[in-house]
Amino acid sequence: MRARRPECPEIEVCGLEPNGRILNYDHSGRIFRVLPFRRPSGVRQLSVLSDLRVGESAVLVALDLPDSVQNHLMHMGFVPDALVTALRRAPAGDPTVYLIDGMEIALRHETAEAIRVRAIAPGSEAAAGDCEDEDISELAEAAR
Amino acid sequence: MSSCCTPPAFEPPSAPPPAGALKTVVLVGPPNSGKSTLFNRLTGLRQKVANYPGVTVEQRMGLMAGVGREDLTLIDLPGVYSLTPYSEDARVAIDVLRGKMPGTPKPDAVLLVLDSQHLTRQLMLAAPVLAVGLPTLVLLNMSDLMESRGGRVDTLKLARELGAPVAQISAVHGTGLDAVPLFLNGQANRESAKPLALPVLGNAASTHTWAAQVSRRTGYQAPLSVEGTRKIDNILLHRIWGPLLFLFVVVGVFEVVFSIGQPLSDGFGYILAHIGEFARPFLPAGWLQSLLLDGAWKGISSVLVFLPQILLLFLFIGILEDSGYLARAALIADRVMRTIGLNGKAFIPLLSAYACAIPAIMATRTIENRRDRLATIFVTPFMTCSARLPVYMLLIAAFVPNIVYLHGFLGLRTIVMLSLYLAGFVGAMTTAFLLKSSILKSSETPFILELPQYRMPTLRSLALRLMDRASVFLRQAGTVILCVTMALWVLAHLPVIHLESGSWAAPELASSLIGRLGHFIEPAIAPLGFNWKIGIGLLSSVLAREVMVSTMGTLYGADPDTQALNLQTALHHDMTLGGALALMIFFAFAMQCTSTMAVVRRETNSWRWPALQFLYMLALAYSAAFVVNHIVMALS
Repeated sequence: MRARRPECPEIEVCGLEPNGRILNYDHSGRIFRVLPFRRPSGVRQLSVLSDLRVGESAVLVALDLPDSVQNHLMHMGFVPDALVTALRRAPAGDPTVYLIDGMEIALRHETAEAIRVRAIAPGSEAAAGDCEDEDISELAEAAR
Repeated sequence: MSSCCTPPAFEPPSAPPPAGALKTVVLVGPPNSGKSTLFNRLTGLRQKVANYPGVTVEQRMGLMAGVGREDLTLIDLPGVYSLTPYSEDARVAIDVLRGKMPGTPKPDAVLLVLDSQHLTRQLMLAAPVLAVGLPTLVLLNMSDLMESRGGRVDTLKLARELGAPVAQISAVHGTGLDAVPLFLNGQANRESAKPLALPVLGNAASTHTWAAQVSRRTGYQAPLSVEGTRKIDNILLHRIWGPLLFLFVVVGVFEVVFSIGQPLSDGFGYILAHIGEFARPFLPAGWLQSLLLDGAWKGISSVLVFLPQILLLFLFIGILEDSGYLARAALIADRVMRTIGLNGKAFIPLLSAYACAIPAIMATRTIENRRDRLATIFVTPFMTCSARLPVYMLLIAAFVPNIVYLHGFLGLRTIVMLSLYLAGFVGAMTTAFLLKSSILKSSETPFILELPQYRMPTLRSLALRLMDRASVFLRQAGTVILCVTMALWVLAHLPVIHLESGSWAAPELASSLIGRLGHFIEPAIAPLGFNWKIGIGLLSSVLAREVMVSTMGTLYGADPDTQALNLQTALHHDMTLGGALALMIFFAFAMQCTSTMAVVRRETNSWRWPALQFLYMLALAYSAAFVVNHIVMALS
């Protein structure tokens, strides 16, 4: 586990998922919030699809959604190892249009939040130009 | 360029169709792969084609006349991503394909349509469809687009991989379609396709791996993605311009329908009136002439007059649907729809309902959550459908002065018309909110929407759409409206009075059967500012809204005081401005369409929903009309 345990003053327990997501639990033990993990250095770590800024790309890892929704999304191209790019946000800011497998698919924030992604390994995919982001490549190196 | 790649494909196309072996062919494919366009090509039938996922919400059947096989029935199915049902329309598709749909014949062969521009993903559907075991022809649609943008696929290899013949086609241009009759003629002689080793199904990930392997082995090269769509979206989905352009489009459409449509309708009305007068000398003078010309023709032509405007509205909605803009509208609207408890997908049927509520209610099948779907069905009739247009047009032209603002871009009449549309929309949204926060409360379902590429609407598809609409309108005029106007004419002329001179004469309109019925219900509608003639109109309009106008035409035509006047002037005879505005508001909210109620009954499987809908909308319409009439009375 490469991430340090974050501080959660108002929360009883903090859990950390293998992929870097922080799971916060309230007193009853129910997960009530999932936060993208930020390293102390300020380098952003991509962990869920909704973290992507417009123009950024990532590689899909897994879907944490009910079976029927997951199956539907997978048939629309949301399969592990697929390259996803956040294309644009709707005028109101919420559904975001993602480019996957040449198709444009709109998802709301809460759906995108349940889709785990990882940063693109440098050099492996040159398809999305903006992903040679310094932060991300640095992170990917750290991951190795 | 297109070819069919297994041995049976080399049989001559002129082979006589063997009778009986093959009866039903089914079209399967993912959403937006062009199935409906292909269906139109193969059958020559009219079928709605729109560029948003989920247009074909019900299986449609037609004879394959387009390829000279009138003996075969072709079923077009809603687009599916997989054979695991996710929404109601997908369930229909799967049931038909498996032969489990009551009332639909079990298919004997399958035409699998895939969009060749996204073949890898589309192949995921091929595995479960081929596993059904029916003889299948795989059609790679839009191959012209794929090749023009540098895409490539080896159809021979693909056919070997899939164990089914593969052909490249372009449904829009009609190229490569000869593969279909070749395949069908060949299939009739064969026993059944031998099952092929396909991947273990059930798991989306394994299906995807298989699809990716197949597309790699067949040398598939995806075409370069088009930048055009994204450039258009940069404007149409812009933070500020997007919503503004959306409003501009909506206002512009109605302005054009009014400003261009009105003279067209006036001209058409002039022609219709002259046809009636032309026929008059050919009919014997007396009751028959009166029944046919003053009753039936006057009633029918008062509705037919609005055909140009309705077609214009359908043309604009057709362009919006075919171009792919509706999916963007759903994306823009999602935020608003979310506050009332629905999602952006519910917005697509609501927009289509501006044309007609019936296809819109069927289009709700794409909404996955049953409670969301019920709420959408419930509020769809609030949207201002084209059948309200004649009533609004008539009343606005009669009572609202033609004042123009903004150098002619916006007229007072357009403003009144838009307010009525807005009233319907607000009624729908408020009702949906009430339903979603009470009896139809549910947890949110994810909003997943595919944005198709923009396409240029083809003239062919728009023309088919307008012809379809015109024929529906004319059929309605020839059946329901004809019957109602004839019945009204008869009721307006009974009981006949025996004159002193020994001849018979019609009674005064007020003392005729219809007059007595009208006077009987008058107390109920008098507070709204309606007289008994309007009351009769309202009763008849329960069948369909536009019947109101024909009823008015017949009633005022039967009344000697107003016989010579045109309908607009005749209405001024006994209606105030308050009554006219109240009548418009009444039409904005009331459920007056038996066909819609029948569809709601079918889609919800119970009479409870249409009954509730009817009573709720009636109560709302009555109270709104009451308030409007009293406010206008107090002001003037």
